[in-house]
Order: sequence, then structure tokens, then C-alpha cells
Amino acid sequence: MGRYEIAIIGTGPAGLEAAITATVRNKKVLLLGSRESSLKVSKAHKIANYLGLPEIAGADLAAAYLKHIDAMGIQITEDKINAIYSMGDYFVLQGNENVMYEADAVILATGVVAGKPFPGEDENLGRGVSYCATCDAALYRGKSAVVIGYAPKEEPEAEFLAEIADKVTYLAMYPEETSFTRENVEVLRVKPLSIVRDGRMKLVTDQGEIESDGVFVLREAISPKQLVPGLATDGPHVTVDLQMKTNLPGCFACGDIAGTPYQYIKAAGQGNVAALSAVSYLDMKKRSGGK
Amino acid sequence: MLKEILNDNLDEVNASEVALVDFNATWCGPCKMIAPVLQELSEEFAGQIDFYGCDVDENQLAAQQFGVMSIPMMVLLKKGQRVDQKIGFMPKAFLETWLRQNL
Ligand SMILES: Cc1cc2nc3c(=O)[nH]c(=O)nc-3n(C[C@H](O)[C@H](O)[C@H](O)COP(=O)(O)OP(=O)(O)OC[C@H]3O[C@@H](n4cnc5c(N)ncnc54)[C@H](O)[C@@H]3O)c2cc1C
Repeated sequence: MGRYEIAIIGTGPAGLEAAITATVRNKKVLLLGSRESSLKVSKAHKIANYLGLPEIAGADLAAAYLKHIDAMGIQITEDKINAIYSMGDYFVLQGNENVMYEADAVILATGVVAGKPFPGEDENLGRGVSYCATCDAALYRGKSAVVIGYAPKEEPEAEFLAEIADKVTYLAMYPEETSFTRENVEVLRVKPLSIVRDGRMKLVTDQGEIESDGVFVLREAISPKQLVPGLATDGPHVTVDLQMKTNLPGCFACGDIAGTPYQYIKAAGQGNVAALSAVSYLDMKKRSGGK
Repeated sequence: MLKEILNDNLDEVNASEVALVDFNATWCGPCKMIAPVLQELSEEFAGQIDFYGCDVDENQLAAQQFGVMSIPMMVLLKKGQRVDQKIGFMPKAFLETWLRQNL
């Protein structure tokens, strides 16, 4: 597959504009996301403040975006990126099913994710709080764990954990019935409030406390900190300068993920800036004799 | 070079002036990504810090002793005393700064 020059994550207005600008500048681009653009575009009823397109419906705007992308011959690789590793000189992006991509520069255009971490979650990450049951399961031999699952698709992860752990308490955060087969999985419908470390891990809920050796939080959305280890963030946003640079050389961010206001035209504008900054970064690297 | 810890034997780690132990596993993605970074750092810090790799499946007792609950976990020791630790993948520049601060 080879190494790309710029990998762009997200196919909302920020990511699409970044891809268009980088392609105009002749860079080898990898655009990752969904061909449906972004739900925040396609589901918007009417948009009043988009330059040149008064009162356009979101679905029409999304269609116009895709037409533009297709006309320029830009491919969308339909994958979800779960982690981005800064290797010093380049980045490794890990997609679903552990597909790995490599790129010299990365542009984050993943939008903002709703939902704040629980009190105690960030502080205890890696010390009893984990986001990946299949990753850390082996460390739970003979132990007990609490899994907070936000969608039925997380159930196999909890089930896998239960093969190794003595006991798994599963908090189903959705209305659907659960379908566990193992008897050491207990399903509860309580609301988690906070995570406390006090020797073992204590999950405080609206109906009392649950003690265990570890708490797994399995959410749909990945926070930027979790997506890119080492990235400087400010709450749900990535810290950027006016060139859309992050604290990691070669990593840029644009659109909602780079801060408020949340607006289409601002997202697209920042996508343009991020792509141009990535282009200068690559040119500078080339000039200084880097690979 | 990272020296592999075998049979939960930490004698050499405990005797070292400054040692870094990387707890990892073959099935752990971030561990694989950080391995080449640690390899480079072990060369940069040669003579100052001794680097060790510890597979948690092969060394369950050692992992338990260090309270490893998430990997990769990098533990820094001076004469066998734990002085600091880091969990999860980190860019090379971060690890470098961290190691320098602790020398
Ligand atoms: C109902 C509604 C109405 C709105 N009306 C207006 C309006 O009238 N005017 C206006 O200016 N703004 C409006 N907004 C705000 C606007 O939607 C956002 O500011 C804009 O969509 C931000 O664009 P973005 O590209 O930054 O992110 P998004 O549009 O959120 O796109 C991000 C994309 O990245 C994908 N993604 C995320 N993580 C990953 C990953 N790990 N791997 C792969 N892909 C990933 C997501 O699935 C998504 O498709 C409205 C928002 C809503 C919800």
C-alpha cells in the first residue's frame, strides 16, 4: 500500500475541503471516513449561512460535496481509525480489523464527540480504567471487571473478557435486550456516576457502588486524546494554532474538533488551512533532507 | 537493545543503577508500535539506562508484582526502586524528555 503523504480522518466539511486542497497541491492523499459525508451535514434541515448556497438542505449540501470529491477523483477509504501513533518521522494509523496505514502527515477532521468522561476516568486510565477489553483482557485472569457498554456491539468484547476474568458486571447503557451466553456476566441497568480508585476500583452508580479490579468504558466515539496518544487537548477539543498545527509535528486538526464555533464554513475554511500547512510541512521536511 | 526478562527473573533489573522495564504482550497493538521507539531510545541512552522487555504472558508473576493492569507499561527503576512509570503509547520525543528528567 505504501506510505501516503497526507492522511485525513473524517469526511465532514473540514476533512473534504482538506482533501480537495491537498489534491490540488498534488499530494498523495488518504481520505478516511464514510462516503455518506457526515450525519451533521446530511441531517441538517436547512442551512441559512453557507456562502453562495442560500437555504440549502443538508442532504443537498452533502450531495454537492461528494460530487466535488468524485469530480476530482478523490477516493474515500471507508474505515474507522481507532488509533494514530506518532512515530517521530511519520504516523501509523490503525483502522478497523487492525488494518494499518502510514502517512508523513495527518489531518484530524473527526468532528466533536458528545459525552464527557466520568469523574475519575482520565486520572485512572491505564490504572484500572481501560477502553479496550480485547487489549487488556489477559491481565484480568482470576479478577473481576465492570464493563460500561454504550451499544449492543460491545457485548462480544465483554463476553471475551468474561472468558478470562472470574466475573464481569455489564452495564448496558441502551434499551435493547442483551444476549450473553456466559454465566459469569451479570447485566445491570444502573447509571454510572464516577470512578474511584481506593485499592481496587469502585464504580459509583445511582444505585450504590460496584467494586472490581478494573472498569472498561466502551463508547462509540473516541476522544482525541485516546485517538492520538500525546496530543495536547483542551476539553473535547484539540489545541491548535492559527495554522491548525497541534503540539505534534506533522499533525494538524480542523473543524469542530479544533474548537468552537461549530459551523460548516468555518470547518471547511480550517480544512483548507490545515491542508496548506501540511503541504508546507512536507515541503520543509523534504528540503531539510528528511525522508 | 532490550534484554528479555525470562522466568520472572528481575535480579538484573533490581541490581541495575537505572533500568527501564517495558511490560508488553505479543497481542497488544500499542506495544508493537512502541517497540521500535524503545529500541532507538535504548541505543541513545546506552550506558545510562538498561532497557528490559517483559512479556506479561511469559512473566505473569513479575507483571503482578508491578501491578500491571494495562499495557504497554514502562517502569523506571533506580537500584530496584520504582521511581516513575508511563502507560500506553507515547511519541518518542515525550519518552525522551521523561527519561532525561529522571536521570
Ligand atoms: C442539526 C444540525 C444543524 C446544524 N446547522 C448548522 C448551520 O445551519 N450552519 C452551520 O454553519 N453549522 C451548522 N451545524 C454545525 C455543523 O454541522 C458542524 O460545524 C460541521 O458539520 C463540522 O464539520 P466537521 O467536518 O468538523 O465535522 P463533522 O461534520 O462532525 O464530520 C466528522 C466526520 O468524521 C467522521 N469520523 C469521526 N471519527 C472518525 C474516525 N475515528 N475514523 C473515521 N472517521 C471518523 C465522522 O463519522 C464524521 O463523518 C449544524 C449541526 C447540526 C447537528
